[in-house]
Amino acid sequence: MENYQNMPATDKNAHAVNLRLLNAAIRFNALILGFTAGTLAAFIVYFATQISMGKWGDNSGGYLSLLAIFFPGYSVTSSGAWVGAFWAFIYAGTFSALSYRLYGRVLGTRIADILLSTAPAENPVLKPSVLRLHGVSLGAAIGTMSALCLFFSTTWLVVRGTAGESVHAALFANYIPGYSVSILGALWGAVVLFLMVFLACLLLASVYNKIVESRYQ
Amino acid sequence: MNRPVQDHEILSAVFAKMDVVGMAVAAGVLCALLLFLATATLLLQSVPEGSLIGPHLGALGDYLPGYEVTWAGALFGGFYGFLIGAAGGFTAAVYWNLTHYVALGFMLISSAELAD
Repeated sequence: MENYQNMPATDKNAHAVNLRLLNAAIRFNALILGFTAGTLAAFIVYFATQISMGKWGDNSGGYLSLLAIFFPGYSVTSSGAWVGAFWAFIYAGTFSALSYRLYGRVLGTRIADILLSTAPAENPVLKPSVLRLHGVSLGAAIGTMSALCLFFSTTWLVVRGTAGESVHAALFANYIPGYSVSILGALWGAVVLFLMVFLACLLLASVYNKIVESRYQ
Repeated sequence: MNRPVQDHEILSAVFAKMDVVGMAVAAGVLCALLLFLATATLLLQSVPEGSLIGPHLGALGDYLPGYEVTWAGALFGGFYGFLIGAAGGFTAAVYWNLTHYVALGFMLISSAELAD
């Protein structure tokens, strides 16, 4: 089997494939992933809010209420839980869909390499193959999106004039040396976060692929 | 890979199912490592005498019994991280596969209606 983790980064087969089908495939899976991650995130925020209220009552929302900075209208209340679920769906859905679009773009015509078997299946739709992950593409995609998220969320704190009070955001400096709630700090933080997420994705893909190969071959 | 990718391979890649066990274990390992390293990073940083180490991360102890920002807590955190990551990976993989089946169902119904 080819070592797909070390495949070349350049895409040499761009003119030899059905690009229309490939782009449609990437769009379809981006939509599916966006919907999947969006609904999961919505559930998590909704139930986290409900659990917080159930556990701490009137004292709930010490940390959760900070979400209101990015989720307009959110509060740790029953109605706020629905607002939080809505925003979580939008943010996580967009993040995931764009991540997949990037993943697909980086992966390009090597899309067949993520399949466990490239032999023509009797019916690739009804009898699907097993998916593998391409660590470099995954790391590039999720790393880029995470870096952009950190940069824009920090910039938002600066723009709204609360950078000096953002003590919780400043805690990122514990894990991202050099990060601060400023534009320059956000730029540096985005670069470091990209590297961290890239490595995490390589690990995730590597473990996942090893298990898949050992289970199916 | 130096050959053009075939249409059936693109279709296979679109509808390929995620391995639930593989994703659960991989996400579990990653989360275990992340929570362990997050705790260890705080423990390795120098803090003023008498200061509390990692009060915000330590708040996880409200949800994860036994967890605290100590070396023993870091091990607990790794264990909990694995469980949480595995549950998340399992859910994500099952949901991913399920969504594909549902989308496929809709497409089959739509194409059948068009054929009629």
